[in-house]
Amino acid sequence: MLSFIARRVLAAVGTLFLSSVLVFLAVQALPGDVATQVLGRDATPDAVAALREQLKLDRPAWERYVDWTAGALHGDFGVSLVSGKAVGGEVGMYLGNSALIALITVLFAVTGSLLLGILAGLYRDRWPDHLISTVSLVGMSVPEFVVATVLVLCFSVALPVFPAVVLYGPEASVGQLLPAVWLPALALAIVMAAYIVRMARTSVIDVMASEYVTTARLKGLSTWRVVTRHALPGALLPTLHVIALNVAWLAGGVAVVENVFNYPGIGKLMLSSVQNRDLPVIQAIALISAIVYVACNLAADLGAMALNPRLRTRGRT
Amino acid sequence: MTTLETPAPAPAAPLAKPSTAARAWRTLRSSRAATIGLAIVAVHVLIALLAPVLTSYDPIANNADQALLGPSWEHLAGTDQYGRDVLTRVLYGGRYALGVSVTATLLTVALGTVAGCAAALRGGWFDDVLGRVLDAVLSVPPVLVLLVVVTALGTGPSVIVLAIAVVYVPQVVRVVRGAALAIVPADYVTAARARGEGTWAILRREVLPNITDVVCVEFAMRASWVVLLISSLSFLGFGADPPTPDWGLMVAENRTAITVVPMASLAPIIALATLVIGLNLAADALSKAWGVDRVREGR
Amino acid sequence: MTATTAIVSVDSLSVAYRSGGRDVSVVHEVSLDVRPGRTLALVGESGSGKSTVAATLLGHLRHGSRVTAGTVRVDGADVFALPARELRRLRGGTVAMVGQNAGQALTPSMRIGRQIAEVGGDIPVVDLLEQVRLPRPAELARRYPHELSGGQQQRVAIAMAVAARPKVLVLDEPTTGLDVVTQRGVLDLIGALRDELGLAAVLVSHDLGVVAHMADEVTVLRSGRIVEAAPTGRLFAAPQDPYTRRLLASVPRLDDAGLALVGEAGEREVRPRAVVSDASPVAVSARDLTVDYGSSRAVTRAVDGVSFEVRRGEVLALVGESGSGKSTLAWALAGLRAPSGGAMTHESGDLAGPARKRPLSLRRRVQLVFQNADTSLNPRRSVGDAVRRPLRFFGTAGSRAEAAARARQLISDVRLDPAFVDRLPAQLSGGQRQRIGIARALAGEPDVLIADEITTALDVSVQADVLRLLDDLRRERELACLFISHDLAVVRGIADRVVVLRNGVVVEEGPTDAVFADPGHPYTRQLMVAALEPDPDTRPLVADAPEWTDAAEPDDVWTELGDGHRVRRWSPLAREGVA
Repeated sequence: MLSFIARRVLAAVGTLFLSSVLVFLAVQALPGDVATQVLGRDATPDAVAALREQLKLDRPAWERYVDWTAGALHGDFGVSLVSGKAVGGEVGMYLGNSALIALITVLFAVTGSLLLGILAGLYRDRWPDHLISTVSLVGMSVPEFVVATVLVLCFSVALPVFPAVVLYGPEASVGQLLPAVWLPALALAIVMAAYIVRMARTSVIDVMASEYVTTARLKGLSTWRVVTRHALPGALLPTLHVIALNVAWLAGGVAVVENVFNYPGIGKLMLSSVQNRDLPVIQAIALISAIVYVACNLAADLGAMALNPRLRTRGRT
Repeated sequence: MTTLETPAPAPAAPLAKPSTAARAWRTLRSSRAATIGLAIVAVHVLIALLAPVLTSYDPIANNADQALLGPSWEHLAGTDQYGRDVLTRVLYGGRYALGVSVTATLLTVALGTVAGCAAALRGGWFDDVLGRVLDAVLSVPPVLVLLVVVTALGTGPSVIVLAIAVVYVPQVVRVVRGAALAIVPADYVTAARARGEGTWAILRREVLPNITDVVCVEFAMRASWVVLLISSLSFLGFGADPPTPDWGLMVAENRTAITVVPMASLAPIIALATLVIGLNLAADALSKAWGVDRVREGR
Repeated sequence: MTATTAIVSVDSLSVAYRSGGRDVSVVHEVSLDVRPGRTLALVGESGSGKSTVAATLLGHLRHGSRVTAGTVRVDGADVFALPARELRRLRGGTVAMVGQNAGQALTPSMRIGRQIAEVGGDIPVVDLLEQVRLPRPAELARRYPHELSGGQQQRVAIAMAVAARPKVLVLDEPTTGLDVVTQRGVLDLIGALRDELGLAAVLVSHDLGVVAHMADEVTVLRSGRIVEAAPTGRLFAAPQDPYTRRLLASVPRLDDAGLALVGEAGEREVRPRAVVSDASPVAVSARDLTVDYGSSRAVTRAVDGVSFEVRRGEVLALVGESGSGKSTLAWALAGLRAPSGGAMTHESGDLAGPARKRPLSLRRRVQLVFQNADTSLNPRRSVGDAVRRPLRFFGTAGSRAEAAARARQLISDVRLDPAFVDRLPAQLSGGQRQRIGIARALAGEPDVLIADEITTALDVSVQADVLRLLDDLRRERELACLFISHDLAVVRGIADRVVVLRNGVVVEEGPTDAVFADPGHPYTRQLMVAALEPDPDTRPLVADAPEWTDAAEPDDVWTELGDGHRVRRWSPLAREGVA
């Protein structure tokens, strides 16, 4: 069991290492001289040279990579080219705001969609299933900005309950942001839930048709016991990975929604740093997203281990 | 000697040979959802092709004194803030979305299929290394990759197509590899190996024909994702350049005036949503009819 | 035998499912009665509806099926008219079921003990596990299903079924996935429990040996209809219906001196074995062959120092249970798995390299036929394609037209209508697919044919046909045939010589008649004791096998019994208390 965990963690670290190399290389491979592009065409050669030195562009790529990762390990992601502040602190501030949305989204989307998906699976081919399946198909067919726009139309314009845009900057307190969190979270939850609902439905149907569930029924157990004790552990297993992928997707998914609501989160920072070619910030965001992705998948693997004794007891037989 | 003679072979009763086309046709007839889905997509393609015939307005030219009109007989969906006919822009808008999406999806699925099959068939270190690299690519959000590529290389269609291939190929590889892995241990592949056939011949003759359905479903589904991603990109201002008629761009432009001319935002939203619903319906129905498990890969 | 004393009474039951807007009948007007303490067997080939009938005793129907006529009464209750609560009480309490595949019938995420306990009843789990003769029951109850062997899983399923002391036991192919020796143990357990608890039992099986061993009465089903119903003794001694007669005649026997040929009306004739002359050349041979599995760290030796040779026109059988290494051996010969030691030679060259490294002319001369007819043909390619490909690939047919003509010829050579060329595999029955698999192997004009459990997945009457085809072909074409099987009775009819494998090691080999007449190794005897004959009055060919231990030493491995019959050295295992 410990060796299983150790192997998974090791694989996760390996993936993370590869991701960091890819991110670094991709940013390096961007065409044109970064210094010139940041400063504009009519920058003085002195300024360009100074920036090149600040970015250490004159040193070989691998040295810069080692510097960067070594710094990143201590939370030092360099200095923003735009604001001149430490990237770590700045990204952290935006990240905290986004985490607020993400937390609420995940909480609602995961519980809600699991319930709906299991319901649809149990009532296969009857009206609750048809309703839930249709709604989730629409949910996954509509882009986030459309969902967000429609929500604004409904709950800010027609029925002014929530603010349409956030008027605070990244330093806003949780109390200031809280009223503005709900609509973005709802938009993300709708888009995200569609996938989890479909997965949960399919795996419930698969498991309910399995031989061991039939056996449990033929043992004379009550439906409730058959579903909760026999079917659900097996049905949740494949759903876990879809949940993990969707939670990881939030890291990029927030970009669009936060821009619709002008919410000061990591997605908005991502967009503005791309516009300003603020390379250290882009690198930091990419690396943090990769960490989220790897962490989510690791969590799903460990969750699978908890649900599946076959993984837990390997090597004990 | 034996009294029991070798029995004569039983004659084969005549049976229709089902071709792939016949199979697809049967699927269509038996599944209403597939018919509806493919019909919606077909209508979108037709509209995109026939846009100049369907409307007499210019989708790009500004007309200041016609700005922000409500629906009327001249402008069925009203006009936007620059006085352009919204319906015309919606009809033309499919051209960009469909053109880029179809090309990008074709490229993505083709690359992913070849790499996925090769990984499944070769196995060993090749499979391991490919898997690790693809996992690393997957860990960076597609939106971020696209934003960076587009700002660096411009918003040309070929750039977007390539960028999409980079972010979505890993997922296609995973799906196709999984499907191919289910075929590789089959005895008919073993038989081909025992004959000493080459990797490419086994791939083409034995593996590919058995995963065409997976690849078709994959195509329909990726196409829907690509349409969504491209429209999001346009919405953020990183996709189609402003005067171009594009649905994502139109929503972004007209969102601020949504209370004045709601149709200017709603029309492109409806167009976009129907196209993606059509693709999803088709993908769902085909996968159901062909027994392909597509739900398993949420994102 | 009136309905009043019967505990199970099925009265003209019909079951159908809807497909494409119309009803397809699965079971048609089936009636049967079972009295307490008696065992009724439902016998039939695949698609006969036997499992469907059995499941109705628990009020269970497959998704989409329904009862169209008739009633099922168990212990006085009309099963399909029961309200949900009472149906639940019936299941487990009055009727319990043991399914075919216990590995899939046990919930993987629950411990054994809890799965048994939740059935209800007053008997402690540990006692139940003890009752099904499982070792260390207290520890076993805390395990998960995957930590048990197949035989143990089936015993747990039986414990689960008898936990609430039901009155009727439904056994749906309870031993089909198990090795012969394990099967015998499980059957003996079921029989003992049935007698001890006074259970009525309904046994579903395709295996007439199992039925003869277990049942008091037999009902033969075919395509959902009853063909014949009779007490076991009478049915096996004097079957009335031609179908039953054919079914019985198709079962290979341990005392057949050659291949049994079966006629339309069920007449049976044993064809004498073909004579292989000493002058006929050795087609293929293996010397001290070893094959290893796994990485360099954890090596499992699948085949350990096996030697044999097969002459032209001769059938050599490799016999053993699962894990004996017999299939690994076949793969090594075909060049699909690299041996780690020893040598393999064909009369025209060395078989050391993998298939891709062997010269084309050598490759085509060693051909493989697979066990599972479902996966041996590419479902997307026509039958003709499957046969034409090797013709073209090996160059045995020069032009396209010639390949097409040869393919039709080969298909008729395996006793099929050449019109099959345009069919897809899904449009063929299992036996027909297996014939196409043989035609494909013949396309390379081989002189060595490796048949890996080719009849295992087939119904017994189809098996008889395929065996006959194989026997005809080796006579016509002077084929050297390596016949791999776990079934001694099948081997008895077709093989000239037998090699018995256990854990990758040869324990006995020799001419078929000699080995069957006087099995020298306790393992061979054990296999023969466990084999069940389709005859309730049969005496086992050999007395019980002694406990034994391997006594072979490097320079003294074999006990020679003459005429090539030799036995690996062994010595009786002295047990405490027993001499």
